[in-house]
Formats: sequence, structure tokens, C-alpha cells
Amino acid sequence: MLPDVTAVRSLLSGVAEAEAECTSLGVVVHASSGDAVAILAALKSSEFDFAVLIDLLGTDLGDRVEITYHLRSFTRDEDIFVKSSLPHGGTLQSASGVFASALLPERETAELFGLVLAGHPNPKRLLTTEGQEPLLLRSVPIRTVKEVRDG
Amino acid sequence: MSPRAAEHVEHTATGRMVFDVGSQHPSTHGLLRLAIETDGEEIVSAEACLGFLHRGIEKLGEHRRYHQLPTLMDRGDYLSGIHGELASALAVERLRGIEVPPKAHWLRSLLGEINRIASHMAWYGTFGRDAGVTSHFFYSMRDREALLDILEAVTGQRMTFNYVRPGGVIADLTVVAESKIRRFLRTFDAHLDEHQTFLGGNELLQKRLRGVGVIDRDSAMSLGLTGANLRASGVPYDVRRDRPYAAYSELEFGIPIGTTGDAMDRYLVRIEEMRQAARIVRQCIEGLPEGAVMAKLPKALRPREGETYACVESPRGELGVHLVADGSETPRRFHYRAPSLFAIAALEQMLPGTLLADAALLVGSVDIVPGEVER
Repeated sequence: MLPDVTAVRSLLSGVAEAEAECTSLGVVVHASSGDAVAILAALKSSEFDFAVLIDLLGTDLGDRVEITYHLRSFTRDEDIFVKSSLPHGGTLQSASGVFASALLPERETAELFGLVLAGHPNPKRLLTTEGQEPLLLRSVPIRTVKEVRDG
Repeated sequence: MSPRAAEHVEHTATGRMVFDVGSQHPSTHGLLRLAIETDGEEIVSAEACLGFLHRGIEKLGEHRRYHQLPTLMDRGDYLSGIHGELASALAVERLRGIEVPPKAHWLRSLLGEINRIASHMAWYGTFGRDAGVTSHFFYSMRDREALLDILEAVTGQRMTFNYVRPGGVIADLTVVAESKIRRFLRTFDAHLDEHQTFLGGNELLQKRLRGVGVIDRDSAMSLGLTGANLRASGVPYDVRRDRPYAAYSELEFGIPIGTTGDAMDRYLVRIEEMRQAARIVRQCIEGLPEGAVMAKLPKALRPREGETYACVESPRGELGVHLVADGSETPRRFHYRAPSLFAIAALEQMLPGTLLADAALLVGSVDIVPGEVER
């Protein structure tokens, strides 16, 4: 289930500056947003064979937005998480060239966290209409029934 | 060009046409609009236009206590509520370190498999409707109603159960419910053979399904497909076997795999999954241990700061919950990994090159639930 952290570190040392650690989530690689796509490509073509991007999500950390890529190797049955963070309103570089499964989750994440999507073949909004606030930011409140009724 | 498209049509110079398929169609189990561009009878490009069922489940989850999360998950994939509830409960249990009583594990597997057959029955019925068959639908609803009746007898609800909670399940199996399950099992295998003869045994349907909507092994993996869609393409990955949860490590079941990844394989894999699910239900009923069904927990759960990912094998694939806790009563981030979202992307890749008449069939063959896609 958990890949070898030392092997991951030695693999990534030749690709970009990244830190790998073992957390409650599993093995997590922290990378800068510019290096994330290169690291995903390196993990995919490595002997770990992380051939599938299982999930992609954003998290609002208050001062910045953290993007988590969740990769899986079916041959070894191991998972790895790559995390990078962006400023609010920053540019999310698309990973869809490496993993086609990033196509829709990236559109959703960019829309719901107010990010700009770059390098994506179809960077439109996915779920909500134009002008809708980025819903998943913590600064966007949920309105109460009374607030909705009173406009 | 697809080998099934009519020959010599490129000279008719009719021009391309863009139109909408949907947003209401029986095969979508909800609302899904496909903007399809066609050249004659052949689809050139397809784009899924989503947003009809976006309810902000992830945002709402950040404002709910931990044991309220299953209520929200029910409304995601409403055809298989137990699996959504289970994924969120597993994530909370993992973060908080909760020990679940053995009987609750077995009841989770039991209800999960009953729900799986009920969900596959809804798929089977609507899938045949997409292919132009009507009468089998009533046979599929006969079995689905029996299953929903069982689920109602155990949980009190037909679809949004709210049955699995962090720490266990809310109710034990009653004598009435158990006898209903036994009665269902007595006839189900024969009913499944009947279904298989009725729809899958029909030569016309087989001809329509073979070689259509092929997803090969590599593209299935790169598109992030899971569940029956992935297994039909020949990847033997099942969360129940590879990362056992609930009572699956103690249960015996087969995992059907396809070879070509076409619509026929996806059909056959799901039919066989129902047979295996009935096998698991039988084992659960026979081997159900005694004891409590819910662990003793405080009113408000406050997991330590941390992050976790828990996944289950829902009828549509790997349903995951990614939970970030900050030590308070509500999650910092609650993310729902929906298998149907990835199936929609696969659908967009699969449709170009096929005939327009097969579009509805292919939507049915990947078994999507828009409620889960948009959350």
C-alpha cells in the first residue's frame, strides 16, 4: 500500500526539488506548483508504475490553495500523493497531458477554488454558471434559509 | 470511420450538425446533457454539459458534524447510498481511531451487496431501454422492488438510508428482514438466468453491443476508470479484494473480468457481479456474528488534526472520501471521489466515431449517476 519513501526521494532528486514524507494519509510528496506536472510524469514512467491518477482535489489552507494529486499503481497496489500549493486566484497548470483522468476534476477544482486553468484543452466552467463565487473557498459563506429568502 | 457507419455518405455534403442529447433521458438516472456534433449519422465530437444536479455536497460537508456526513453521501450516488455512507464512515473511523464491532462489519457488507444488486438492477433495466427493449424493464423492477423492500425493512428507507454511521450501523437485522432476504435468495439465481436469457441472450442485442464503445486497458487506466468499467477492460482491480474493508476479507467471491472492453463486456461483468453479490449476501446471512452493532462514541466526534482517504467498491467503481480534519467538530475539507465523474470523461472520448443511434446505449453502458458526478 505504501511505496518506499527513500526510493521515491532518490527518484525525484533527479527531477525537481521535492520533499517526500510519510503522513497519516500515506506517502506525500510536496512540490512547487511549477514542478508538479513534471513530478507526476516522472512517477508515471518510473519503476513504481503510477499509471492512474485516481483523484485530484483542492484544499483551502487560508492563505493559499493546496492541490492534491492522488496516484495509484495497480501493478504494485501502492498509492502516492503529490501536493503543491498556489496563491488564491493563481494559475493551475493542467496535468491532463500526463493523465487524461485529470480533465474534469481540474475544471471543477479551478472553478470551485477560483483558479485559472492553463494548458487545458477545454478550460470552461464545469458545474456552476458564470459569475458564481468560488464555492469551496472558506471565505465564501453558506447562506442560511433566511438570507436566501430575503435576497 | 467506424466500420458500422454507412459507406459512401461522405459525399452527401450535408454539413455538420450540433445538437443536444438530454438533459432528460432514462439512461442517465438523472440529468445529463450531451452536446453532440454529428457528420451524417456519425458522431464527430461529444461534450458533457454538467451542473444540473450540483448541490455543493462537499461545501455542506464542511459545515456538518462528522456523523452527519453519511446523510450527505446518500444524496450523492442515490442508487447506492450504503456505499457512500460507508466510505465517509470509514474515513471518520480511520481519523478518529474507532473500533467497529464485528457484527457491524458484516451488516455493512450484507447491506452493501444488497444495495449493489438493487443498483445494478436499475442499470440493467434502463440499459435495455436504451437498446430499445421494454418488457425486461418490468422484470428488473420486480427484483429491484424486492431488494428495496428488504432495505426498507432493515434501514427504514428505500433509497436515502442513513444507515451506516461512524462507529457501526444504526440497526440490527430483524427477523422479518432476514426472512425477506432468504426468500429473495431462493429465487434470485433463477431470476438472473432469466434476465440473462431475456436481454443478454438476445442475438440482436449482442450484435449491437459487440465491438461498440471499446475502451482498451491503457486508456481505461489513463482515464481513471474504476469498478466494472475498468474490469471489463481486463484490469482485475477490486477494492473489496485488494484493500478489504467491512467483512470482505472473510468472504469468498469471484471478480469477473472482461477481455475487449466493449459494451458487451461491461454488460456481462455487471451481470456476473450481481451473481457474486448474491453469493456474498448468502455468506453474510449464514455467518453473521452476534454482538453489538454500534461502538460507544461521544455525541460530538473531534478527530485529531490529520488527513485520510478511504475508499469502497460502489456499483460504479471506487468511491472515495478524502477527509482533512483540523481538530474541530467539523471537517476542514470533505472531498468525494466520484467514479461516475471519470466515466463521463471516458464517455466523451468514446463517443466520437460511433453512430448517433449508439449514443444512448453507450451512456447506459458506463452506468453513470449524475447526482454523483456533480455532487
